[in-house]
Amino acid sequence: MHRADYVIKRIAFALITVFVAITINFILFRALPGSAVSNFSRAPHASPELRATLTHEFGLDQPLWKQYVLYLDQLIVHRNMGVSFADNQPVTTELAGKLKNTLGMVFVGTLFAIVIGIVTGFVSAWRRSGVVDHVSTNTAIVFYALPTQFIGMMLIFLFAKYLPTAGMRNEVNTFFSGGSTWSSIKDIGLHMMLPAITLALTLFGEYTLVVRSAMLETLGEDYVLTARAKGLPQRRIVVSHALRNAMLPIVTLVALSLGFIVAGAILVEIVFSWPGIGQAVYEAVATRDYPMLQGAFLVLTLSVVFFNFIADLLYFKLDPRITE
Amino acid sequence: MLVKAKLLAFCSVMAVVAAGCTGGGNNPSATQGGHLIIGTTSNIDTMNPFVTFQQNSYAAFEYIYPQLSQFDAEGQKLLPDFATKWTTSADGLVWTFSTVPNATWSDGQPLTAKDADFTFNTILKYGDGPAGNLVGGLANVRSVKAIGDNTLVVTYSTPAANVLQELQGIPILPEHVWQQYATGDGKGLRQFPNLPENGQPLVSGGPFELAQYTKDSTAIFAANDKFYGPKPEIDGFGLQYFSNDDAMISALRSGQIQAAINIPPTAVATLKGDNSLTVYDGPGLQFRDFIINSSPNKTENLELLDPKVRMAMEYAIDRNSIVETAWLGYAKPGSTILPPAAGIWHDPSIQPLPFDIAKANAMLDAAGYTRGSDGIRVANGHPMDYTVLFAKDESGAGDTAFQIIQNGFQQIGIKVTQRKEDNDAVNTAILGDNDTYNKFDLAMWDWYPCCPVPDFILSVVECSEFGNWSDTGYCNPAYDKMYKEQGLQRNLKERQKMVYAMQKMIYDARPYIVLSNDDTLNAWSNDWTGFVEGSLGLFNNLSKASLTQVHQA
Repeated sequence: MHRADYVIKRIAFALITVFVAITINFILFRALPGSAVSNFSRAPHASPELRATLTHEFGLDQPLWKQYVLYLDQLIVHRNMGVSFADNQPVTTELAGKLKNTLGMVFVGTLFAIVIGIVTGFVSAWRRSGVVDHVSTNTAIVFYALPTQFIGMMLIFLFAKYLPTAGMRNEVNTFFSGGSTWSSIKDIGLHMMLPAITLALTLFGEYTLVVRSAMLETLGEDYVLTARAKGLPQRRIVVSHALRNAMLPIVTLVALSLGFIVAGAILVEIVFSWPGIGQAVYEAVATRDYPMLQGAFLVLTLSVVFFNFIADLLYFKLDPRITE
Repeated sequence: MLVKAKLLAFCSVMAVVAAGCTGGGNNPSATQGGHLIIGTTSNIDTMNPFVTFQQNSYAAFEYIYPQLSQFDAEGQKLLPDFATKWTTSADGLVWTFSTVPNATWSDGQPLTAKDADFTFNTILKYGDGPAGNLVGGLANVRSVKAIGDNTLVVTYSTPAANVLQELQGIPILPEHVWQQYATGDGKGLRQFPNLPENGQPLVSGGPFELAQYTKDSTAIFAANDKFYGPKPEIDGFGLQYFSNDDAMISALRSGQIQAAINIPPTAVATLKGDNSLTVYDGPGLQFRDFIINSSPNKTENLELLDPKVRMAMEYAIDRNSIVETAWLGYAKPGSTILPPAAGIWHDPSIQPLPFDIAKANAMLDAAGYTRGSDGIRVANGHPMDYTVLFAKDESGAGDTAFQIIQNGFQQIGIKVTQRKEDNDAVNTAILGDNDTYNKFDLAMWDWYPCCPVPDFILSVVECSEFGNWSDTGYCNPAYDKMYKEQGLQRNLKERQKMVYAMQKMIYDARPYIVLSNDDTLNAWSNDWTGFVEGSLGLFNNLSKASLTQVHQA
């Protein structure tokens, strides 16, 4: 298979996936029992006219197929995700701000997880069956098994006296007491610590186990035996020969999981009241804010598809056998 | 002038200026300045009054916008706010308000009766559309007109007893900001975000101005030194949104926030054990209810319309157990739809039926509902086996309450199954086909009756609320007639009697079996004092008192 063919096929597959996801996003929320309008028209003595006005304003008085065509037209042609039912503001603008907040925290948390996962997995494989291996592997399994919200709540109980437990920054203190750019950065960093650590603890176990497994597999390969027979130092055997070859599944896993961490941060954001895309999804579900839900799920879909695509490309790059 | 000629001596005259009434700030012994952060698990969805439907948004409007009137700190009496006094004509149709002279908005522009004129007329003009969520407060208003800068005349088509409380709920908006959106079809009214821009606070006219707002995170309110009333003791406050209760409680205990609204019952004991905190635990307005479909359109399980079945159900509900087990004692057994926190409007003579399984069984036996071989009674040829629609809002303590009810009902041969769904799905299931309430049997939900005054909560069982606020399908023209009459009755004692009679009518008909009345549970750091301790809570949409009088201890 030619490289170009492979890439084109992957792109086509990604686009089809996105289109299907867009369609499901549209159908899913409308298939649920209940009405978005009833939620937003509950004002004292609300008149049937108010409900009719909101139904018209939200476009819910149109036939479903027409709503779908309008939705696609706005989304694909005008790149417009619509207006939030909850506050009448453009979804694109709101989600952009939320996504920015999420990415910062998720990036730090994932980076922690990758570093801890690779180091502990590597050490476990290197010290196989020793105390270090047992401690590292069991710790990884425990954290891998624990629910995100449980880890988050435990960290809140343990560290609430020392670290902020909600929001992205202490806007109130900054507003009334002022502060330099440095203190503002420090404030955001402190607020990010517990959610990022929660995310890291949630994710690192999987990395540890995969890295350990991949390393053990490559350490048992003939070329490692040959390297040993040639009298190469242990460090060089592990780093240059075993680790490099073990990178294939590790890189793939990292790329794949990056796609899911935006969605996976929902629980972290709810526990720590982090004003990101996960919290936006939570609020939008509670209020039946269809445009916000559609927009947020589209962003989540795009992130998964995009990183899957990157994983495919990396796989292609790292494993030449694919083209053979 | 014609308007003046209509004013009579017996008219209600409230000549006390707002400064003296609210019990607000300017306390010479208080430690001035400082700021505090209040935690809440309910967000501000938007600061646009034509769009919002969240309680905290309305509470924010109370503090940043003028209202003609406001409630006292306990929520029992209406006091002056932007209107310093008012008079009504003999026929009760014309209300004339005198507004605070020489007031200004936070940007220095004059704040006059013309702003109220603009706001009310905009709401009336667009009431069938963009202003639909506010127009209810101007029901039966025929015209609104400012006379000069300090007089507002509101003319009604019928006399009403609830004018002041209805007008209290309408924030007066700055005309110079909003007039550009009140044109054409008025859609701009709902599209304007109404937020601080370019580092400038939102143009405000209350004791605070909205200085900064981050959706689903923080709203910052700074003291407005141009406020016409008593100035706050503090420099300002922030409202911090928490997605979950536990994180809010931890933040309060660790000093990250200084106060918390609506703390969960499970946290009260812990917080009471913390010497650095004050916990307010008092009667609240919210109640939890068991709904029995009362719709005349009901097509199945018609035995549920039988008053004896309804009464037997109430006998089989152990309210004390619900209060002690589900609410850990931080609630009171309920009786009527106006809880004791409603003050003079609550009828204390209405007492709930005691938990009495033997009596419930005897009633059902006498009514001919015999038990089948499985112990479930049979009615009209089918087992008395029903689904209880259970709104997501009730999760937690409500689940325990359901189990207690289920256990009681099992002992009287009635089987109930919980169907938990999100609020909209439950609402849709309750409404049935074409809003006829023809399908559902039972449900569990709650009500927050707006305020201690009775109008709103009494209205939800009107026939005209089918398809809107009604969640019972109850419709009784006699009740509706009484509702209208009480709204016109301006003699307090007479009106109270009518409200009592309406409560009794609903209690006897049992569209609702009121299970329990929540306690109001707030907590704050002992470093701060002056929070209002009452059923309204420390941040509410009825009074400006709480946060204008709070100060450092």
